[in-house]
Amino acid sequence: MTNRVFMLPLWIRLWHWSNALAIIVLAVTGVSLHFSNPDLPLVEFSLAARIHNVAGVCLAGLYVVFVVGNIVTGNWWQYVPKPPGIIGRCLKQMQFYGSGIFKGEKEPFPPTPEVNFNALQAVTYWSIMYLVLPVVIATGLIFLYPQFAPDRLFGLDGLLPIALVHYLGAAAIVLFAVSHIYLGTMGPKVSSLFKMMISGWYEH
Amino acid sequence: MFANFKNKLCGALALLVMLTATAFADDPPPTPEELAKIKTANAECLTCHSEAGLKKPPKEGLDLKKLRNYLVDVDTYTASDHGQMACSKCHGDGYDKHPHAAKAKEGLSECQDCHARKAMRIERQFDKSVHAEHLSDSFTCSTCHDPHVMTLASKLRDPHKIVAQDNKICLDCHDSDLAFAKIAPEKKKRPPIDDIHSWLPNTRLHWQAVRCIECHTPTEDKLSLSHEILNKDKAEKKCATCHSANTSLNARLYRHLAKEEQNKYGFLNSVILSNSYVVGATRNPSIDWIVIGLFVATVVGVIGHGLVRIITTRMRRSKNHD
Repeated sequence: MTNRVFMLPLWIRLWHWSNALAIIVLAVTGVSLHFSNPDLPLVEFSLAARIHNVAGVCLAGLYVVFVVGNIVTGNWWQYVPKPPGIIGRCLKQMQFYGSGIFKGEKEPFPPTPEVNFNALQAVTYWSIMYLVLPVVIATGLIFLYPQFAPDRLFGLDGLLPIALVHYLGAAAIVLFAVSHIYLGTMGPKVSSLFKMMISGWYEH
Repeated sequence: MFANFKNKLCGALALLVMLTATAFADDPPPTPEELAKIKTANAECLTCHSEAGLKKPPKEGLDLKKLRNYLVDVDTYTASDHGQMACSKCHGDGYDKHPHAAKAKEGLSECQDCHARKAMRIERQFDKSVHAEHLSDSFTCSTCHDPHVMTLASKLRDPHKIVAQDNKICLDCHDSDLAFAKIAPEKKKRPPIDDIHSWLPNTRLHWQAVRCIECHTPTEDKLSLSHEILNKDKAEKKCATCHSANTSLNARLYRHLAKEEQNKYGFLNSVILSNSYVVGATRNPSIDWIVIGLFVATVVGVIGHGLVRIITTRMRRSKNHD
Protein backbone atom coordinates (compact mmCIF):
# COMPACT_ATOMS: atom_id res chain seq x y z
CA MET A 1 0.00 0.00 0.00
CA THR A 2 1.56 3.29 -1.07
CA ASN A 3 0.95 6.51 0.78
CA ARG A 4 0.56 9.74 -1.16
CA VAL A 5 1.27 13.15 0.23
CA PHE A 6 1.06 16.47 -1.65
CA MET A 7 4.37 18.29 -1.43
CA LEU A 8 4.95 20.77 -4.23
CA PRO A 9 2.56 23.48 -5.46
CA LEU A 10 2.31 24.14 -9.19
CA TRP A 11 4.37 27.35 -9.20
CA ILE A 12 7.41 25.60 -7.72
CA ARG A 13 7.18 22.77 -10.24
CA LEU A 14 6.79 25.15 -13.18
CA TRP A 15 9.65 27.29 -11.91
CA HIS A 16 11.84 24.22 -11.33
CA TRP A 17 11.48 22.78 -14.82
CA SER A 18 11.80 26.16 -16.56
CA ASN A 19 14.90 26.82 -14.50
CA ALA A 20 16.26 23.37 -15.35
CA LEU A 21 15.70 23.95 -19.07
CA ALA A 22 17.34 27.39 -18.93
CA ILE A 23 20.36 25.98 -17.10
CA ILE A 24 20.80 23.09 -19.57
CA VAL A 25 20.60 25.52 -22.52
CA LEU A 26 23.00 27.93 -20.80
CA ALA A 27 25.45 25.14 -19.97
CA VAL A 28 25.57 23.80 -23.54
CA THR A 29 25.88 27.24 -25.14
CA GLY A 30 28.27 28.41 -22.41
CA VAL A 31 30.60 25.47 -23.10
CA SER A 32 30.38 26.29 -26.84
CA LEU A 33 31.42 29.88 -26.17
CA HIS A 34 34.13 29.29 -23.61
CA PHE A 35 35.74 26.35 -25.42
CA SER A 36 35.07 27.90 -28.84
CA ASN A 37 36.85 25.99 -31.58
CA PRO A 38 36.08 26.76 -35.24
CA ASP A 39 37.01 23.21 -36.25
CA LEU A 40 34.88 21.52 -33.59
CA PRO A 41 31.91 23.71 -32.70
CA LEU A 42 29.34 22.28 -30.29
CA VAL A 43 26.97 25.14 -31.15
CA GLU A 44 28.22 27.71 -33.69
CA PHE A 45 29.57 30.76 -31.82
CA SER A 46 27.18 33.50 -32.93
CA LEU A 47 24.15 31.21 -32.52
CA ALA A 48 25.44 30.12 -29.11
CA ALA A 49 25.94 33.76 -28.09
CA ARG A 50 22.39 34.70 -29.09
CA ILE A 51 20.82 31.69 -27.35
CA HIS A 52 22.99 32.21 -24.26
CA ASN A 53 21.89 35.85 -24.01
CA VAL A 54 18.18 35.03 -24.32
CA ALA A 55 18.37 32.06 -21.94
CA GLY A 56 20.42 34.13 -19.49
CA VAL A 57 17.78 36.86 -19.35
CA CYS A 58 15.11 34.14 -18.89
CA LEU A 59 17.12 32.67 -16.01
CA ALA A 60 17.37 36.11 -14.39
CA GLY A 61 13.58 36.52 -14.77
CA LEU A 62 13.01 33.06 -13.31
CA TYR A 63 15.21 33.96 -10.38
CA VAL A 64 12.98 36.93 -9.64
CA VAL A 65 9.96 34.56 -9.77
CA PHE A 66 11.79 32.22 -7.39
CA VAL A 67 12.61 34.93 -4.86
CA VAL A 68 9.20 36.62 -4.99
CA GLY A 69 7.37 33.26 -4.90
CA ASN A 70 9.41 32.15 -1.91
CA ILE A 71 8.72 35.36 -0.01
CA VAL A 72 5.00 35.37 -0.79
CA THR A 73 4.40 31.70 0.04
CA GLY A 74 6.87 31.46 2.91
CA ASN A 75 8.65 28.65 1.05
CA TRP A 76 12.02 30.36 1.69
CA TRP A 77 12.04 28.78 5.14
CA GLN A 78 12.53 25.36 3.53
CA TYR A 79 15.96 26.42 2.28
CA VAL A 80 17.28 27.65 5.59
CA PRO A 81 19.71 25.17 7.14
CA LYS A 82 18.45 24.75 10.68
CA PRO A 83 20.70 24.14 13.63
CA PRO A 84 21.04 22.62 16.20
CA GLY A 85 22.44 19.27 15.18
CA ILE A 86 22.69 20.21 11.53
CA ILE A 87 26.22 18.84 11.18
CA GLY A 88 25.18 15.54 12.73
CA ARG A 89 22.18 15.32 10.36
CA CYS A 90 24.41 16.13 7.38
CA LEU A 91 26.87 13.41 8.40
CA LYS A 92 24.04 10.93 8.83
CA GLN A 93 22.75 11.82 5.37
CA MET A 94 26.27 11.38 3.91
CA GLN A 95 26.58 8.07 5.64
CA PHE A 96 23.32 7.01 4.01
CA TYR A 97 24.56 8.02 0.54
CA GLY A 98 27.99 6.48 1.18
CA SER A 99 26.98 3.13 2.63
CA GLY A 100 23.40 2.87 3.95
CA ILE A 101 21.79 2.95 0.53
CA PHE A 102 23.93 -0.01 -0.58
CA LYS A 103 22.65 -2.01 2.39
CA GLY A 104 19.02 -1.22 1.61
CA GLU A 105 18.59 1.11 4.60
CA LYS A 106 15.72 3.57 4.60
CA GLU A 107 16.23 7.29 3.85
CA PRO A 108 17.08 8.80 7.29
CA PHE A 109 15.16 12.07 6.70
CA PRO A 110 12.42 11.47 4.12
CA PRO A 111 10.63 14.58 2.80
CA THR A 112 7.48 15.78 4.51
CA PRO A 113 5.20 18.70 3.63
CA GLU A 114 6.66 20.58 6.60
CA VAL A 115 10.32 19.75 5.92
CA ASN A 116 10.93 19.20 2.20
CA PHE A 117 14.70 18.92 2.36
CA ASN A 118 17.13 16.93 4.43
CA ALA A 119 19.93 18.94 6.09
CA LEU A 120 22.44 18.26 3.28
CA GLN A 121 19.91 19.34 0.66
CA ALA A 122 19.07 22.51 2.59
CA VAL A 123 22.75 23.50 2.90
CA THR A 124 23.47 22.75 -0.78
CA TYR A 125 20.30 24.29 -2.19
CA TRP A 126 20.69 27.37 -0.05
CA SER A 127 24.32 27.84 -1.22
CA ILE A 128 23.45 27.32 -4.87
CA MET A 129 20.24 29.33 -4.94
CA TYR A 130 21.20 32.21 -2.67
CA LEU A 131 24.97 32.45 -3.21
CA VAL A 132 26.19 30.94 -6.47
CA LEU A 133 23.23 31.52 -8.81
CA PRO A 134 22.77 35.24 -8.03
CA VAL A 135 26.49 35.79 -8.57
CA VAL A 136 26.37 33.94 -11.90
CA ILE A 137 23.29 35.93 -12.95
CA ALA A 138 24.81 39.27 -11.88
CA THR A 139 28.12 38.58 -13.67
CA GLY A 140 26.17 37.35 -16.69
CA LEU A 141 24.21 40.60 -16.83
CA ILE A 142 27.46 42.58 -16.66
CA PHE A 143 28.75 40.37 -19.50
CA LEU A 144 25.63 41.34 -21.42
CA TYR A 145 26.36 45.02 -20.80
CA PRO A 146 30.17 45.04 -20.54
CA GLN A 147 30.25 48.83 -20.41
CA PHE A 148 29.37 48.44 -16.71
CA ALA A 149 32.41 46.28 -16.01
CA PRO A 150 35.42 48.01 -14.44
CA ASP A 151 37.64 49.38 -17.19
CA ARG A 152 40.88 47.87 -15.96
CA LEU A 153 41.98 45.77 -13.00
CA PHE A 154 45.58 44.88 -12.08
CA GLY A 155 46.77 45.94 -15.53
CA LEU A 156 44.31 43.61 -17.27
CA ASP A 157 40.90 44.11 -18.79
CA GLY A 158 38.26 44.75 -16.11
CA LEU A 159 35.96 42.13 -17.60
CA LEU A 160 38.42 39.35 -16.68
CA PRO A 161 37.36 38.96 -12.99
CA ILE A 162 33.69 39.13 -14.03
CA ALA A 163 34.30 36.44 -16.66
CA LEU A 164 36.25 34.24 -14.24
CA VAL A 165 33.61 34.43 -11.49
CA HIS A 166 30.87 33.78 -14.07
CA TYR A 167 32.74 30.75 -15.44
CA LEU A 168 33.59 29.22 -12.06
CA GLY A 169 30.09 29.87 -10.67
CA ALA A 170 28.52 28.33 -13.76
CA ALA A 171 30.86 25.34 -13.47
CA ALA A 172 29.73 24.87 -9.84
CA ILE A 173 26.09 24.94 -10.96
CA VAL A 174 26.76 22.34 -13.69
CA LEU A 175 28.49 20.05 -11.15
CA PHE A 176 25.54 20.58 -8.79
CA ALA A 177 23.08 19.80 -11.62
CA VAL A 178 24.79 16.47 -12.39
CA SER A 179 24.70 15.41 -8.74
CA HIS A 180 21.18 16.83 -8.31
CA ILE A 181 19.80 14.74 -11.20
CA TYR A 182 21.47 11.63 -9.82
CA LEU A 183 20.28 12.25 -6.26
CA GLY A 184 16.79 12.49 -7.77
CA THR A 185 16.93 8.71 -8.12
CA MET A 186 17.33 8.24 -4.35
CA GLY A 187 13.64 8.20 -3.48
CA PRO A 188 11.67 5.12 -2.34
CA LYS A 189 11.78 4.12 -6.01
CA VAL A 190 14.21 5.41 -8.65
CA SER A 191 11.36 7.36 -10.27
CA SER A 192 9.57 8.59 -7.09
CA LEU A 193 11.21 11.98 -6.78
CA PHE A 194 11.00 12.72 -10.54
CA LYS A 195 7.27 11.92 -10.40
CA MET A 196 6.93 14.20 -7.37
CA MET A 197 8.65 17.02 -9.25
CA ILE A 198 6.06 16.62 -12.04
CA SER A 199 2.81 15.86 -10.18
CA GLY A 200 3.60 17.41 -6.81
CA TRP A 201 2.67 14.15 -5.00
CA TYR A 202 5.21 12.16 -3.02
CA GLU A 203 4.53 8.44 -3.04
CA HIS A 204 6.18 6.26 -0.47
CA MET B 1 64.81 43.33 -81.17
CA PHE B 2 64.40 47.05 -80.56
CA ALA B 3 61.11 46.40 -78.72
CA ASN B 4 62.89 43.90 -76.50
CA PHE B 5 65.61 46.44 -75.67
CA LYS B 6 62.94 49.10 -75.00
CA ASN B 7 61.14 46.77 -72.59
CA LYS B 8 64.34 46.00 -70.75
CA LEU B 9 65.21 49.69 -70.55
CA CYS B 10 61.77 50.53 -69.19
CA GLY B 11 62.07 47.74 -66.65
CA ALA B 12 65.48 48.95 -65.52
CA LEU B 13 64.22 52.52 -65.23
CA ALA B 14 61.18 51.40 -63.21
CA LEU B 15 63.45 49.44 -60.89
CA LEU B 16 65.74 52.45 -60.52
CA VAL B 17 62.81 54.74 -59.70
CA MET B 18 61.48 52.17 -57.23
CA LEU B 19 64.84 51.77 -55.50
CA THR B 20 65.36 55.53 -55.34
CA ALA B 21 61.86 56.01 -54.00
CA THR B 22 62.30 53.29 -51.40
CA ALA B 23 65.58 54.82 -50.34
CA PHE B 24 63.75 58.15 -50.06
CA ALA B 25 61.11 56.67 -47.75
CA ASP B 26 63.81 55.06 -45.63
CA ASP B 27 65.90 58.23 -45.29
CA PRO B 28 67.63 58.60 -41.93
CA PRO B 29 65.84 60.96 -39.52
CA PRO B 30 66.89 64.61 -39.78
CA THR B 31 69.62 65.98 -37.51
CA PRO B 32 68.53 68.44 -34.77
CA GLU B 33 69.75 71.33 -36.95
CA GLU B 34 67.79 70.08 -39.96
CA LEU B 35 64.75 69.53 -37.77
CA ALA B 36 64.94 73.13 -36.48
CA LYS B 37 65.04 74.38 -40.08
CA ILE B 38 62.08 72.17 -41.02
CA LYS B 39 60.10 73.45 -38.05
CA THR B 40 60.76 77.07 -39.00
CA ALA B 41 59.77 76.44 -42.62
CA ASN B 42 56.64 74.53 -41.60
CA ALA B 43 55.66 77.25 -39.13
CA GLU B 44 55.45 79.61 -42.08
CA CYS B 45 52.86 77.34 -43.78
CA LEU B 46 50.98 76.92 -40.51
CA THR B 47 50.49 80.65 -40.05
CA CYS B 48 47.58 80.13 -42.44
CA HIS B 49 46.98 76.33 -42.45
CA SER B 50 46.06 75.90 -38.77
CA GLU B 51 43.12 76.67 -36.50
CA ALA B 52 45.05 79.68 -35.20
CA GLY B 53 45.66 80.85 -38.76
CA LEU B 54 42.00 80.50 -39.57
CA LYS B 55 41.01 82.51 -36.50
CA LYS B 56 43.62 85.19 -37.06
CA PRO B 57 44.50 85.20 -40.74
CA PRO B 58 47.93 86.77 -41.30
CA LYS B 59 46.75 88.33 -44.52
CA GLU B 60 43.64 90.08 -45.61
CA GLY B 61 41.44 88.76 -48.38
CA LEU B 62 42.04 85.05 -47.75
CA ASP B 63 39.27 82.67 -48.82
CA LEU B 64 38.63 81.36 -45.32
CA LYS B 65 35.95 78.90 -46.44
CA LYS B 66 38.47 77.23 -48.71
CA LEU B 67 41.24 77.45 -46.14
CA ARG B 68 39.08 75.58 -43.60
CA ASN B 69 39.47 72.45 -45.77
CA TYR B 70 43.26 72.59 -45.65
CA LEU B 71 44.06 72.88 -41.97
CA VAL B 72 46.72 70.83 -40.21
CA ASP B 73 46.79 70.13 -36.50
CA VAL B 74 50.42 70.73 -35.64
CA ASP B 75 50.56 68.32 -32.68
CA THR B 76 48.91 65.50 -34.64
CA TYR B 77 51.18 66.18 -37.58
CA THR B 78 54.35 66.25 -35.48
CA ALA B 79 53.41 62.90 -33.90
CA SER B 80 52.56 61.35 -37.28
CA ASP B 81 54.86 59.32 -39.53
CA HIS B 82 55.58 62.37 -41.69
CA GLY B 83 55.91 64.70 -38.71
CA GLN B 84 59.61 65.33 -39.22
CA MET B 85 59.25 66.25 -42.87
CA ALA B 86 59.08 69.72 -44.34
CA CYS B 87 55.74 70.58 -45.93
CA SER B 88 57.69 71.44 -49.08
CA LYS B 89 58.83 67.82 -49.44
CA CYS B 90 55.39 66.99 -50.86
CA HIS B 91 54.00 70.46 -51.52
CA GLY B 92 56.78 71.48 -53.90
CA ASP B 93 56.62 73.79 -56.88
CA GLY B 94 53.98 76.45 -56.75
CA TYR B 95 53.44 76.26 -53.01
CA ASP B 96 56.38 78.40 -51.94
CA LYS B 97 54.55 81.69 -52.41
CA HIS B 98 51.08 82.92 -51.63
CA PRO B 99 48.76 82.93 -53.45
CA HIS B 100 49.89 79.42 -54.48
CA ALA B 101 50.27 78.79 -58.19
CA ALA B 102 47.04 77.77 -59.91
CA LYS B 103 48.53 74.46 -61.03
CA ALA B 104 50.45 73.79 -57.81
CA LYS B 105 48.23 70.83 -56.96
CA GLU B 106 49.33 69.04 -60.12
CA GLY B 107 52.89 69.04 -58.85
CA LEU B 108 51.97 67.59 -55.46
CA SER B 109 54.06 64.52 -54.68
CA GLU B 110 52.21 61.25 -54.76
CA CYS B 111 52.58 58.53 -52.15
CA GLN B 112 54.27 56.14 -54.54
CA ASP B 113 57.00 58.72 -55.21
CA CYS B 114 58.45 57.65 -51.87
CA HIS B 115 56.59 54.42 -51.14
CA ALA B 116 56.93 52.73 -54.53
CA ARG B 117 57.46 49.14 -53.41
CA LYS B 118 54.65 49.30 -50.88
CA ALA B 119 52.36 51.02 -53.37
CA MET B 120 52.88 48.26 -55.95
CA ARG B 121 51.90 45.58 -53.45
CA ILE B 122 48.98 47.58 -52.10
CA GLU B 123 47.65 48.47 -55.53
CA ARG B 124 47.22 44.82 -56.42
CA GLN B 125 45.19 44.31 -53.25
CA PHE B 126 43.25 47.56 -53.63
CA ASP B 127 42.23 46.66 -57.20
CA LYS B 128 40.17 43.80 -55.77
CA SER B 129 38.58 45.92 -53.05
CA VAL B 130 35.03 47.22 -52.84
CA HIS B 131 36.41 50.76 -53.03
CA ALA B 132 38.09 50.04 -56.38
CA GLU B 133 34.90 48.45 -57.66
CA HIS B 134 32.83 51.60 -57.06
CA LEU B 135 35.35 54.43 -56.91
CA SER B 136 38.48 53.38 -58.81
CA ASP B 137 38.98 56.83 -60.36
CA SER B 138 38.55 59.06 -57.36
CA PHE B 139 39.83 56.82 -54.54
CA THR B 140 43.46 57.44 -53.66
CA CYS B 141 45.72 56.53 -50.73
CA SER B 142 44.94 59.84 -49.05
CA THR B 143 41.18 59.25 -49.24
CA CYS B 144 41.78 57.05 -46.21
CA HIS B 145 45.33 57.78 -45.11
CA ASP B 146 45.68 61.47 -44.35
CA PRO B 147 49.46 61.90 -44.63
CA HIS B 148 49.32 64.66 -42.00
CA VAL B 149 47.76 62.32 -39.46
CA MET B 150 48.66 58.66 -40.00
CA THR B 151 51.00 56.75 -37.74
CA LEU B 152 52.01 53.18 -38.49
CA ALA B 153 50.38 50.58 -36.24
CA SER B 154 53.83 49.20 -35.48
CA LYS B 155 54.74 52.59 -34.01
CA LEU B 156 51.47 53.09 -32.12
CA ARG B 157 51.62 49.53 -30.69
CA ASP B 158 48.78 50.20 -28.22
CA PRO B 159 45.76 48.39 -29.75
CA HIS B 160 43.35 51.05 -28.40
CA LYS B 161 45.24 53.77 -30.27
CA ILE B 162 45.49 51.65 -33.43
CA VAL B 163 41.75 50.92 -33.34
CA ALA B 164 40.86 54.57 -32.71
CA GLN B 165 43.02 55.76 -35.61
CA ASP B 166 42.00 53.11 -38.13
CA ASN B 167 38.28 52.97 -37.36
CA LYS B 168 38.05 56.75 -37.53
CA ILE B 169 39.11 56.47 -41.17
CA CYS B 170 36.25 54.10 -41.99
CA LEU B 171 33.65 55.76 -39.77
CA ASP B 172 34.41 59.28 -40.95
CA CYS B 173 32.72 58.31 -44.22
CA HIS B 174 30.57 55.32 -43.31
CA ASP B 175 29.05 56.91 -40.21
CA SER B 176 28.20 60.25 -41.83
CA ASP B 177 25.72 60.78 -44.66
CA LEU B 178 27.38 64.06 -45.55
CA ALA B 179 30.92 62.71 -45.81
CA PHE B 180 29.73 59.56 -47.57
CA ALA B 181 27.83 61.54 -50.22
CA LYS B 182 30.97 63.58 -50.99
CA ILE B 183 32.87 60.48 -52.16
CA ALA B 184 30.28 57.86 -53.06
CA PRO B 185 28.94 57.45 -56.60
CA GLU B 186 25.75 59.34 -57.31
CA LYS B 187 22.56 57.69 -56.03
CA LYS B 188 24.59 55.38 -53.78
CA LYS B 189 23.07 55.59 -50.32
CA ARG B 190 25.18 55.16 -47.22
CA PRO B 191 24.69 51.62 -45.91
CA PRO B 192 23.07 51.69 -42.45
CA ILE B 193 26.07 50.33 -40.60
CA ASP B 194 24.32 49.84 -37.26
CA ASP B 195 21.58 47.71 -38.87
CA ILE B 196 24.05 45.76 -40.98
CA HIS B 197 26.11 44.94 -37.90
CA SER B 198 23.16 44.22 -35.62
CA TRP B 199 24.18 40.53 -35.60
CA LEU B 200 27.39 41.55 -33.83
CA PRO B 201 26.72 41.68 -30.07
CA ASN B 202 27.62 45.02 -28.46
CA THR B 203 28.40 46.40 -31.90
CA ARG B 204 29.78 49.79 -30.92
CA LEU B 205 31.88 48.22 -28.15
CA HIS B 206 33.33 45.85 -30.73
CA TRP B 207 34.23 48.89 -32.84
CA GLN B 208 36.10 50.36 -29.90
CA ALA B 209 38.04 47.15 -29.34
CA VAL B 210 38.82 45.90 -32.85
CA ARG B 211 39.24 47.45 -36.26
CA CYS B 212 36.70 47.28 -39.08
CA ILE B 213 39.47 45.76 -41.21
CA GLU B 214 39.77 42.79 -38.83
CA CYS B 215 36.68 41.42 -40.61
CA HIS B 216 36.57 43.52 -43.78
CA THR B 217 39.85 42.21 -45.23
CA PRO B 218 40.62 38.59 -46.19
CA THR B 219 41.50 36.63 -43.07
CA GLU B 220 43.32 33.84 -44.90
CA ASP B 221 46.48 35.93 -45.07
CA LYS B 222 47.97 35.55 -41.63
CA LEU B 223 51.14 37.53 -42.38
CA SER B 224 49.91 40.96 -43.35
CA LEU B 225 46.77 43.03 -43.53
CA SER B 226 45.47 43.45 -47.03
CA HIS B 227 44.12 46.63 -48.63
CA GLU B 228 41.47 44.46 -50.28
CA ILE B 229 38.54 45.92 -48.34
CA LEU B 230 35.64 43.48 -48.53
CA ASN B 231 31.98 44.39 -48.65
CA LYS B 232 29.46 42.89 -46.24
CA ASP B 233 28.88 39.79 -48.36
CA LYS B 234 32.53 38.80 -48.35
CA ALA B 235 33.52 40.08 -44.90
CA GLU B 236 34.38 37.66 -42.11
CA LYS B 237 31.34 36.66 -40.09
CA LYS B 238 32.71 33.68 -38.21
CA CYS B 239 33.06 34.89 -34.62
CA ALA B 240 35.43 32.01 -33.82
CA THR B 241 38.05 33.50 -36.14
CA CYS B 242 38.82 35.86 -33.26
CA HIS B 243 36.99 34.04 -30.46
CA SER B 244 39.12 30.90 -30.22
CA ALA B 245 42.42 29.81 -28.73
CA ASN B 246 44.10 30.24 -32.12
CA THR B 247 42.66 33.74 -32.52
CA SER B 248 43.47 35.67 -35.66
CA LEU B 249 43.81 38.81 -33.52
CA ASN B 250 47.36 37.71 -32.80
CA ALA B 251 48.25 37.98 -36.47
CA ARG B 252 46.24 41.19 -36.92
CA LEU B 253 45.56 43.85 -34.31
CA TYR B 254 48.05 42.39 -31.84
CA ARG B 255 50.74 41.41 -34.34
CA HIS B 256 53.06 44.16 -33.12
CA LEU B 257 52.76 42.82 -29.59
CA ALA B 258 52.71 39.15 -30.56
CA LYS B 259 56.26 38.61 -29.30
CA GLU B 260 55.35 39.91 -25.86
CA GLU B 261 54.20 37.82 -22.91
CA GLN B 262 51.57 35.37 -24.15
CA ASN B 263 51.04 33.39 -20.97
CA LYS B 264 50.74 35.98 -18.22
CA TYR B 265 49.10 34.40 -15.14
CA GLY B 266 48.73 31.23 -17.23
CA PHE B 267 46.20 32.77 -19.64
CA LEU B 268 46.28 31.98 -23.33
CA ASN B 269 46.77 35.07 -25.52
CA SER B 270 47.39 37.15 -22.40
CA VAL B 271 48.74 39.98 -24.56
CA ILE B 272 45.13 40.56 -25.68
CA LEU B 273 43.95 40.37 -22.09
CA SER B 274 45.84 43.54 -21.27
CA ASN B 275 43.20 45.35 -23.37
CA SER B 276 40.20 43.08 -23.84
CA TYR B 277 38.69 39.89 -22.48
CA VAL B 278 37.85 37.89 -25.60
CA VAL B 279 35.55 34.93 -24.87
CA GLY B 280 37.11 31.75 -26.24
CA ALA B 281 40.54 33.34 -26.81
CA THR B 282 41.78 34.62 -23.46
CA ARG B 283 41.29 31.61 -21.25
CA ASN B 284 43.32 29.79 -18.66
CA PRO B 285 44.05 26.15 -19.59
CA SER B 286 44.93 25.22 -15.98
CA ILE B 287 41.54 26.40 -14.69
CA ASP B 288 39.86 24.70 -17.66
CA TRP B 289 41.55 21.38 -16.85
CA ILE B 290 40.55 21.62 -13.18
CA VAL B 291 36.91 22.30 -14.18
CA ILE B 292 36.93 19.48 -16.76
CA GLY B 293 38.54 17.16 -14.16
CA LEU B 294 35.87 17.99 -11.56
CA PHE B 295 33.12 17.44 -14.12
CA VAL B 296 34.53 14.07 -15.19
CA ALA B 297 35.02 13.06 -11.52
CA THR B 298 31.38 14.00 -10.73
CA VAL B 299 30.01 12.08 -13.74
CA VAL B 300 32.21 9.05 -13.04
CA GLY B 301 31.29 9.32 -9.34
CA VAL B 302 27.53 9.24 -9.92
CA ILE B 303 27.80 6.47 -12.55
CA GLY B 304 30.00 4.44 -10.16
CA HIS B 305 27.63 5.05 -7.25
CA GLY B 306 24.68 4.04 -9.43
CA LEU B 307 26.40 0.83 -10.54
CA VAL B 308 27.22 -0.15 -6.96
CA ARG B 309 23.57 0.53 -6.05
CA ILE B 310 22.35 -1.70 -8.89
CA ILE B 311 24.76 -4.50 -7.96
CA THR B 312 24.04 -4.36 -4.19
CA THR B 313 20.26 -4.20 -4.84
CA ARG B 314 20.46 -7.32 -7.05
CA MET B 315 22.61 -9.10 -4.51
CA ARG B 316 20.09 -8.33 -1.77
CA ARG B 317 17.20 -9.46 -3.94
CA SER B 318 18.85 -12.79 -4.80
CA LYS B 319 19.74 -13.24 -1.11
CA ASN B 320 16.09 -12.63 -0.14
CA HIS B 321 14.99 -15.19 -2.76
CA ASP B 322 17.32 -17.74 -1.23
